[in-house]
Amino acid sequence: MHKHRTSHRSIGGKNFVILPIIFCVLIIGISTAIVYPSTSSFISMAKLFFSDGEKDFSTGYNNIFVPVEEDEDEGKEQTTEERKVIPMSTMKFPSYGDQFGELIIEDCQIEARLFFNDGANELNNGVGMYTGSSIPGYGKTILVAGHNNTYFNGLKYAKKGQKVKIRTSYGNYIYEINDIQIRDRSEESACNLGADYENLVMYTCYPFDELGLTPQRCFVYAKFVSGPALDNRS
Amino acid sequence: MSESNRRSKVKPLIYGFLSFMLGFVLFLLSICLVLKFTLFSENFMLDSMANTGYYEMVKDELNDKLKNLGHASGLPDEFFDDFIKDIDIIEVERNYVSAFYTGSSTLVDTDTFKQQLLASINDYVEENNIDKEKADEKNILYLVDEASSIYVKTVTVSFFSVIANYINKLQTPLSMTLVGLVVAALVIAAIIYFTNTYKHRRYRYLTYGLGAGFLSVLVVPIVVFSSGIIPKVNIATRSLYNLFVGYFNSMFMYFWILAAILLFLTVLGFIVYRQKYLKAINS
Repeated sequence: MHKHRTSHRSIGGKNFVILPIIFCVLIIGISTAIVYPSTSSFISMAKLFFSDGEKDFSTGYNNIFVPVEEDEDEGKEQTTEERKVIPMSTMKFPSYGDQFGELIIEDCQIEARLFFNDGANELNNGVGMYTGSSIPGYGKTILVAGHNNTYFNGLKYAKKGQKVKIRTSYGNYIYEINDIQIRDRSEESACNLGADYENLVMYTCYPFDELGLTPQRCFVYAKFVSGPALDNRS
Repeated sequence: MSESNRRSKVKPLIYGFLSFMLGFVLFLLSICLVLKFTLFSENFMLDSMANTGYYEMVKDELNDKLKNLGHASGLPDEFFDDFIKDIDIIEVERNYVSAFYTGSSTLVDTDTFKQQLLASINDYVEENNIDKEKADEKNILYLVDEASSIYVKTVTVSFFSVIANYINKLQTPLSMTLVGLVVAALVIAAIIYFTNTYKHRRYRYLTYGLGAGFLSVLVVPIVVFSSGIIPKVNIATRSLYNLFVGYFNSMFMYFWILAAILLFLTVLGFIVYRQKYLKAINS
């Protein structure tokens, strides 16, 4: 019995575990020390290509639009003083790709979902607000795009004086078409994004119902009529 | 301390160091082998494309993008469904990847695509009796150019040209390094084997080296998979994302396989060592 135990102890079973572990730590340590200095800048750069979570490729969209009831004096022209004020802290600001409202021009048979962003996914499902412009109620220019063969096809019937309704979860807005212009797509002056008054600009490709891509755009300008103002100080 | 005593203390240190070196060489050899059979292999890239459904997804994405273009240019969705059927994406992608690995011209041929699209649009105009005024040639050519640009962007792989350039430059040095590492591993193993008087000691030191190699190779996929970094890659399209994730998962599968081979050799080494040791004691 004694002889048997001695022979097993001296077979060196522990060394077969401990030594490879020590060697492994040394191998990984030395390899890291050699490789890291020459690749650290590459590793830092590569980190930019990774995010915190897995990417979502769904083509659906998030709908944050909950209609609010219409005011009694909706559509009646309002001055800055007459506008109801809504603190921005009480509203939910849309994220990229969110449906945050509806755009309706009854005279043009347009009724489309309004998205925050004007990418391909948004324009497939409705009309999109350029995120470099402002949301309704902010007191600046709202720039909305749509395809001329789908949701903005009805803009071919646009005429001065027609009403444009934008419904959002924080209020309903009315604008009145006051100008229609055909401009080249490269003309930056077609839309004044720096305006300090609330106005709506809608645009689509022109001519309508044309086959192929056209270099012209139809811009429909509308002035503010009514709707609550957003107060970004509160 | 007598000469024989000093020898008996230095010898294990020397063989221990040789075992460590064997483990290190096996680790480097494993990395080079994985690179040779994955990143530096055209077939591995083509297999990854096929296994991750890359071709089908590229075709779907191209169809979706062209349909979006159709929404802005008066062409219905069905038009592109029919048009896309005739494009052989597998052939296009295979030529594109092969061109990089062989170092030849890497431009995607757009002439055939443009001709096919133009012909399909002309057929559509005729079939639907569309007024010539509503189908201006300039606007149609503008559409064809845009569609062609979308086609090239969809079938090409981002950064692949840069990576492939490095791969082509490093093919020969990698092969030479592989040969060097195989020779080094054999030389170290031969020194351990032939300079040890006792048979069981030969296998003991060889097993230490194999065990170290096994653990070191195992560390790589464990660190990568436990960090969960691969699925977090920021790639714009689903096809490329799936290709990237599938490609690297398959690549790290090679590390598991090599680790399993080294584990098998380690266990085998230990069994042989044990037999030799017990035989030596009994005799």
